[in-house]
Amino acid sequence: MNTDGGRPSAPSGHRGTPLTRRTVRWLDRRVGAAGMARKALEKVFPDHWSFLIGEIALWSFVMLLLTGVYLTFFFEPSLEKVVYDGSYEGLRGLEITRAYDSALDISFEVRSGLVMRQMHHWAALVFVASTSAHLCRVFFTGAFRRPRELNWIIGVTLMILAIVNGFTGYSLLDDQLSGTGLRIAYNIAISIPLVGTWIASLFFGGEFPGPDIITRLYVIHILLVPGVLLALIGLHMGLLVRQRHTQFSGPGRTEDNVVGERVWPTYLAKGLGMFFLTSAALAALGGLAQINPIWLYGPYEPADVSTASQPDWYMGWLDGALRIMPSWEFRAFGFEVPNPFLQAVLVPTITFLLLFLWPFLEARVTKDHAEHHLLDRPRDRPVRTALGVAALSFYTVLFFAGGSDVLAVTFGIPINVLFPAFQVLLVVLPAAAGYLAYRLCKELAQRDQPGGEHHAREVAPPAPDSGESHRREVAPDDTPERQPAAEAGGKPRR
Amino acid sequence: MSDGVGSEGQVHEGQQTSEKQASDDRSGDRPSRSWGERVVALAFTVAVLAGLALTVVYSVGGQAQLEGLFLAVALGGIGVGAVVWAQRFMPSEEVTEDRIELGSTDEEVKAFTQSFETGEESLERRSLLVKLGLGALGALGLAAVFPIRSLGPRPGRGLKDTGYAEGVRLVTVHGRPVRPDSLVPGTVLTVWPEGHEGDADSPTLLIRTGAGRLQLAQPTVDDIVAYSKLCTHTGCPVGLYQQQEQLLLCPCHQSTFDVLDGAQPIFGPAARPLPQLPIGVDDQGFFVALGEFPQPVGGGFWDRGR
Amino acid sequence: MLAARTCRVVAAGAGASLATVLAVLTGLGPAAAAEDGHDDPLGYVVDLEALDDPAVVAEGRRLYQRGCVSCHGVDGVGAPAGPPLRDAGAASAHFQLTSGRMPATVPAGAQPQRKPPAYGAEEITALVAYVASLGDGPEIPRVHPDEADVAVGGELFRQVCAACHSATGAGGAQSYGRIAPTLMESTPVQVAEAMRIGPGQMPVFGPERFSDEEVDEIVRYVQFLQEVGDPGGFALGRIGPIPEGFVAIVIGLGATLLAAFWVGKRREQSHDVEEGSA
Repeated sequence: MNTDGGRPSAPSGHRGTPLTRRTVRWLDRRVGAAGMARKALEKVFPDHWSFLIGEIALWSFVMLLLTGVYLTFFFEPSLEKVVYDGSYEGLRGLEITRAYDSALDISFEVRSGLVMRQMHHWAALVFVASTSAHLCRVFFTGAFRRPRELNWIIGVTLMILAIVNGFTGYSLLDDQLSGTGLRIAYNIAISIPLVGTWIASLFFGGEFPGPDIITRLYVIHILLVPGVLLALIGLHMGLLVRQRHTQFSGPGRTEDNVVGERVWPTYLAKGLGMFFLTSAALAALGGLAQINPIWLYGPYEPADVSTASQPDWYMGWLDGALRIMPSWEFRAFGFEVPNPFLQAVLVPTITFLLLFLWPFLEARVTKDHAEHHLLDRPRDRPVRTALGVAALSFYTVLFFAGGSDVLAVTFGIPINVLFPAFQVLLVVLPAAAGYLAYRLCKELAQRDQPGGEHHAREVAPPAPDSGESHRREVAPDDTPERQPAAEAGGKPRR
Repeated sequence: MSDGVGSEGQVHEGQQTSEKQASDDRSGDRPSRSWGERVVALAFTVAVLAGLALTVVYSVGGQAQLEGLFLAVALGGIGVGAVVWAQRFMPSEEVTEDRIELGSTDEEVKAFTQSFETGEESLERRSLLVKLGLGALGALGLAAVFPIRSLGPRPGRGLKDTGYAEGVRLVTVHGRPVRPDSLVPGTVLTVWPEGHEGDADSPTLLIRTGAGRLQLAQPTVDDIVAYSKLCTHTGCPVGLYQQQEQLLLCPCHQSTFDVLDGAQPIFGPAARPLPQLPIGVDDQGFFVALGEFPQPVGGGFWDRGR
Repeated sequence: MLAARTCRVVAAGAGASLATVLAVLTGLGPAAAAEDGHDDPLGYVVDLEALDDPAVVAEGRRLYQRGCVSCHGVDGVGAPAGPPLRDAGAASAHFQLTSGRMPATVPAGAQPQRKPPAYGAEEITALVAYVASLGDGPEIPRVHPDEADVAVGGELFRQVCAACHSATGAGGAQSYGRIAPTLMESTPVQVAEAMRIGPGQMPVFGPERFSDEEVDEIVRYVQFLQEVGDPGGFALGRIGPIPEGFVAIVIGLGATLLAAFWVGKRREQSHDVEEGSA
């Protein structure tokens, strides 16, 4: 510090200044970011509890990284056979793969390994759950509209990657359940017309089970997908900071301002609080609720199977689709279009394509291409809300269909009754729920009429290009402020 | 707060206003404040204790439930403390900030376009070089795609072949050959082609149906049938045999096959019957296959019928 | 006498491990099962020596006429409401009676469920002796799980039993309303009997398929599944990802949403703010 040449304007006698100030000064002389950092600290974030759902996802992801790094120190992604000689009596002496063996060691031999493994798995389930909840929040409040279409696309990509990484993790351990899941994945892959068998062979390194699958899944699970997730989450939040958060309409809240708390210190403290509370919930689950007891499932043997073979919940809708779709298979030009292709390839493809395109589809239909920073209340957009509710109930039916065998035992209803019931529900429930949601929105909106202050959007229509030059003037200097704001813990939306 | 940063900080967004009611009457709120302080202090103290307890649990041998519990309490304590602190003692007035215009001004766009075009012009003067350069990059990209081929072999006949052939014995997972009289009515046994025990593509179910001779597409031995164990839907082992009703059920997606009727699917998503293995008995009285499965086993694929 | 496996006490002696302490505190964790001085840990229930006694057979015949004949017919020839019992054997009678499935309380054709036995030990002995005397059925298997290799049993269990009863022994659904029951309450003798006789929809696994040693190994593994604790905490029924997903969404997401609701709540009067910080 003292050896630094310093700027003439530097205050003298900073020996006695507090440590923080000296650090800031030291850094600033090298980076010159005090101005940007100050703006980051003073950034305003609108406060509504639903804006914190994305934070749950973010902090679950952080927990996934932390626990995941610990697990990589012990896990061996290898199909080499070893004889199990660990402390779990039920498997001692069996020939198992290194992958399964090391996963058992994490559970029984590595001190605090089990709690880490379970926290990791619970965090994965909660990560996708909170991501989905966040997606619903953004959808039903119209937060995806211009200028946030890009962030919506990034968000949907994040959700897909979260699901993919969840599945690769579930498949790594080479227990009976993960092998069964992989076998289904393999058969889904070969069901793709024309290229399916190539994709499967290249990915698995040959015919199922394939010699390389665990190693490849491992690289995908711990490096590729998390890396992309990390980069996209950064982009997601960077864009959020750049574009400022949306807000609900209310007194003094317009399309042109952001009303809320400053980042420093209140919002930051709350965000940190959310991290600790989220991770506390995951730790409690990790210690108290047993998840994926691979020692009970046993090592994977291709000819063995256990009833109640289910995927993790976020794949449940796909599993449900695989179950309750009718047994259609097509032949085209002498070639076969197998049944799983319709359910396990087309259904998710259409689902995510619709999600990606939704902001543009909606803008095209409503002819509303204006910028929106004020959120809709779901009741103000009855059609969108109804469609969203219908879609949600569609996937909920598929989700429950994915647990049909467990439901059959739990509630004593034969599978052969459940399947047709789900098939009917898959059509009827979305229509009914959508209609109900539409009526409810109309009703609620009508009840609100006299108050009417949430109609601010209509009162003050957005004017994106109305030449408000007082802000234009400062625009060039605005550009560098994005980065530090993100670093300072800008409001994460995801 | 605006004057809290060094002299280099420049206020660009001057339009910030604080419209929250001033919080200058502290005198009347003593009890609430001390309550909040006590909560924060308690939360942090609990977190300290839980953190220490965690170290103790670990060092005496570890125990998953206690670890999870103490970790949760430690994290939760910090979380509760931080949030109560933020809610009670940190500035919570509502601040209004103007949104920035996201789009650039026309002049900026024009300046950018100009800069870009100036550079572009200099490139266009060497258009041949540009084309060649792009071509080189393209060829490199193409070459970089090819190593993907190293990931796995060509999907040849593997999906259509199993280890069965004429005269190959049917053996258990431990390699023991099987005689018809070792199958009592109502039993089920998983077998493999000899030399391929445990292979993923050839587990086969041997079932004595107890139903007299069966009229099926492939040869059987007495009332014993042999079906591929792999579901024609997504290849799960069809392991659930209901002996009274002579049904095979797949636990993955609940496809159900009729054992007496050539394993035709009667329920669920599977569209095709389980392939039936033609079986006979060799001169030593053991089961042998009379050939390969007539159709590929497991889930369907594009050129399955070719 | 019949509740052999249900009478468990949690061992919490001095010098107990942390796990045991927690198990006592929360009722979870490995519950160290200890038979309460019971002399029938394998679940024979009946007096095996008495099965050949003509007096016991006669008593069984008397009980049969009173409680079984309406469904199974005179001398076990069968009737519209129930299958013949001529060759059912002691094993089958013993399995059905000790697991409470017989006498059935469900209509013919429906699957009888496990319930507390309707008869006492002596009555069951008599009935088993009588059914055994009717024809040529399998005897009550003698099991020796203590000498069996549990891990080998687990391998066999996953090969033949897990498909229907699940790898954890929790049971599962089958077609047309059938259910493969949970094995968590089955006694060792019942497990062996079920394999030998194939009750209901269950396939038969006779001596030509599994040796007595292999049966013992499977029996041992079922016993192990019943006794082994859940080191991860609450087991959620050991039925796989469905309850796990339920917990993740309802408790995991639910708790964090509550946290978000609390954190995001605005305190309208925030007079506590210290002036110095603003």
